[in-house]
Amino acid sequence: MTAPVSRAMMTLAMCCLGESRREWALAMRAEFEVAIADGRPFAFAAGCLAAAWREMPSHAEGRLVLVNYALALGLLIPMAVLEFALVLGVPWLIAGGEGFSGVLLAGVAPQNPVLALMQFSAAPSLLALWLLLGIGHLRLAWVLVEGDWARVAKAGALIGATLVTLFLLMAALALDVTFVALQAAAMAIELMALVAVSRQHAQLFPSAAPEMLAR
Amino acid sequence: MLLLLEALSATAQQWRYGYDLMKETGLSSGTLYPLLMRMADKGLIEAEWHEPERPGRPARHAYRLMAAGIALARAAESSDAAIPAKAAFA
Repeated sequence: MTAPVSRAMMTLAMCCLGESRREWALAMRAEFEVAIADGRPFAFAAGCLAAAWREMPSHAEGRLVLVNYALALGLLIPMAVLEFALVLGVPWLIAGGEGFSGVLLAGVAPQNPVLALMQFSAAPSLLALWLLLGIGHLRLAWVLVEGDWARVAKAGALIGATLVTLFLLMAALALDVTFVALQAAAMAIELMALVAVSRQHAQLFPSAAPEMLAR
Repeated sequence: MLLLLEALSATAQQWRYGYDLMKETGLSSGTLYPLLMRMADKGLIEAEWHEPERPGRPARHAYRLMAAGIALARAAESSDAAIPAKAAFA
């Protein structure tokens, strides 16, 4: 059990060290084989991982990885949690605790039975689009941490398209779009942060894939 | 760093491996490698890859002190020697 965990820790340490410290990562990897033969792979791998984490803020590539994690954990995942919480109606996260019906179906017109029927009929579609937003944010956080910029662009486009569809559908049904507009504002902030990070990535790796957001 | 300097200066002309230095100095890999990286960045040590001793094993990274490292190790040794002397005169 210790050996696979130690190997996983070594792999993680090598990834964290980045290209600028590639030679040192290979040096650690070579000595890890000696540590295995000596029966101390776990302590050796744990030390290398700690060293790699401490090195991260000292080089540009490591700082970029930390920024990606901060963006994913500090912005994208909270957005996804908010979106799922809305569907579940978690009271301490959504003002009023009314959940999906209180926010997305705000402005339902009971005085107009035909319109109200159309609005309620659209509820499953609105719910599906809202869930897609949450899933899109989780996906975006995942691919951002992976550093897969082609998929970051695709996930961002999916969220954008979903938000536009949701907005248009709600506007066509004469529903209150305030909450969706707030989501669009948050999405704009996310997009600006992603573009800034992708520009930094493009500067560090000029030969990166052409799907980069910044290009 | 003094421990590492001492270990490297004991056999200044000889190439040393990371794991052997860990065992000799008692430093963990989490302390040793950042020190080696800083020392290499500052031109105190040089590193080169050595062919594996046994087939199937990876090549090993070996280190030894450069002139600046040897000078620093000597300066550290002399300052260490001066401290007890000063204490004796105090």
